[in-house]
Amino acid sequence: MTRKVLALLHKDILLELRQKHTFYGILLYIASTVFVLYLSMPESPDAQVWNSLFWVIQLFVCVNTVAKSFLQESRGRMLYFYSITSPRAFIIGKMIYNMLLMLLMSLVSLIFFFVFLENPVSDSLLFVGIVMLGGLGLSLVFTLMSAIAAKAQQNAALIAILGFPVILPQLLLLMRLSKAAFGEVFRDGAVWQLAGLVGLFDLLVLVLAVVLFPYLWKD
Amino acid sequence: MFKFWQKAMALMVGLATSLPLFAQEKAAMADLMRSNGKIYIVVAVCLTILIGLFLYVTSIDRKISRLEKENKNQS
Amino acid sequence: MVQKSWWKILSFVLLVYTIVAGFLLEVPRLFILNETIRNLYFHVCMWFAMMILFGVSFFYSIKYLRGFHYRNDVFASSFAAVGSLFGVLGYLTGVLWVSVTWVTDQGQSLASVLKEPKLIGAAIALLIYGAYFVLRGSFTDIDKRARISAVYNIFAFAMLFPSIWIIPRLVGSLHPGAPGSDSGNPALDRNDMDAGMRMVFYPAVIGWTLIGIWIATLKIRVALLKDKILMHV
Repeated sequence: MTRKVLALLHKDILLELRQKHTFYGILLYIASTVFVLYLSMPESPDAQVWNSLFWVIQLFVCVNTVAKSFLQESRGRMLYFYSITSPRAFIIGKMIYNMLLMLLMSLVSLIFFFVFLENPVSDSLLFVGIVMLGGLGLSLVFTLMSAIAAKAQQNAALIAILGFPVILPQLLLLMRLSKAAFGEVFRDGAVWQLAGLVGLFDLLVLVLAVVLFPYLWKD
Repeated sequence: MFKFWQKAMALMVGLATSLPLFAQEKAAMADLMRSNGKIYIVVAVCLTILIGLFLYVTSIDRKISRLEKENKNQS
Repeated sequence: MVQKSWWKILSFVLLVYTIVAGFLLEVPRLFILNETIRNLYFHVCMWFAMMILFGVSFFYSIKYLRGFHYRNDVFASSFAAVGSLFGVLGYLTGVLWVSVTWVTDQGQSLASVLKEPKLIGAAIALLIYGAYFVLRGSFTDIDKRARISAVYNIFAFAMLFPSIWIIPRLVGSLHPGAPGSDSGNPALDRNDMDAGMRMVFYPAVIGWTLIGIWIATLKIRVALLKDKILMHV
């Protein structure tokens, strides 16, 4: 099982390295979105606005990053996977790969935000941690949504429709949590409690994905 | 537009502050309607609507039952 | 006939009781709420009925994935449809109720009312089932549609519950009984619902749920009939 997952992960990373254009495409997407924000926003937005803008952009970046993970697999290749691996290994491999990719993209978009829209964050290290946690949760949910949308022969729009209501509570949690990094004082342990809740959500998504994916897998 | 909102806000605040004054001892209820019996009209109206709704649903139910029976006989 | 449809009659009797008792019995006298407290028997029941119907839909989706019987998919989608109908009704009646209690009497703006956690939860539920029907619409293959939408139904419903539990802890609530809501809350508190109100409220929930189930079974029977006719032609 572990070996299969690792092999699938290896294959995905290798593909990414070979087809660099999609990777650069997402980078450019982040850069241009943030640039548009920078031009349309008043100078130095306050922390609240900054925070919500950041998470909304994260959401769209995630949809675009993860969307291709299933859409790019052709029918023939899926048949090949079907013969050599199990669905569980496949979805776990995809999830880990998307997680890594999304973590990278989160960092990139964070850097762009810091460069273009100033930096209202008082505890940068904490915020980076929260962003990582958020990227993880987002990528997990949207991986499964991408798997569903791929079956419907549909585009990224369907992923957004399916995913947004499901991700919303998690996004609210993350926005609330990131206020800790803006210098808001929380009750003792409240930060860990919120982070724990996000973690539990991720765990739930993971379990559901492993249980449900085998039904999506067969055609 | 802005003026409208200002007025609306003023009205809301006015309502919010004045209401407790009317009813300091008891919360206002539709006691008048109860005393002159008009509440029964409201009940009657709602019941009529409910009965109409149920009759309609029942008729659909019957129609579907008949269709099911016909379908069974055919096949 | 009568033996089979006793629950339809029960639904009718309970709803007649709801209207008669709901309008005529004494209710607690509360400020701001005044007579609108009676909305509990109608508006709140919409939400209860919606959640129960969605629960039934979820149950049939699981059942579908266990045996791949086409019937179960029809059941799941019909219950989801009627549940959505109740959800929309609940939202509309909620807007009416809110506009005379929180908005006018409390001076809350509509924007802050719409951020109310129960409303967010309800909106999420409606969005999820909206997405469910969009997803269903995008398939041509019946079996595939049944399978994929069952997966989404299960996933989304399982995610809905933690959401409903968590969101009130994040956003301040105007609704009764929510942790974090201030005292002096104008809406109903669990303690305000006295024994008399319970005597009407629970039958009302059952009555509304039963009529929802009845309508759903009608939808199911029509769908199954259509399929039968299609297969014969």
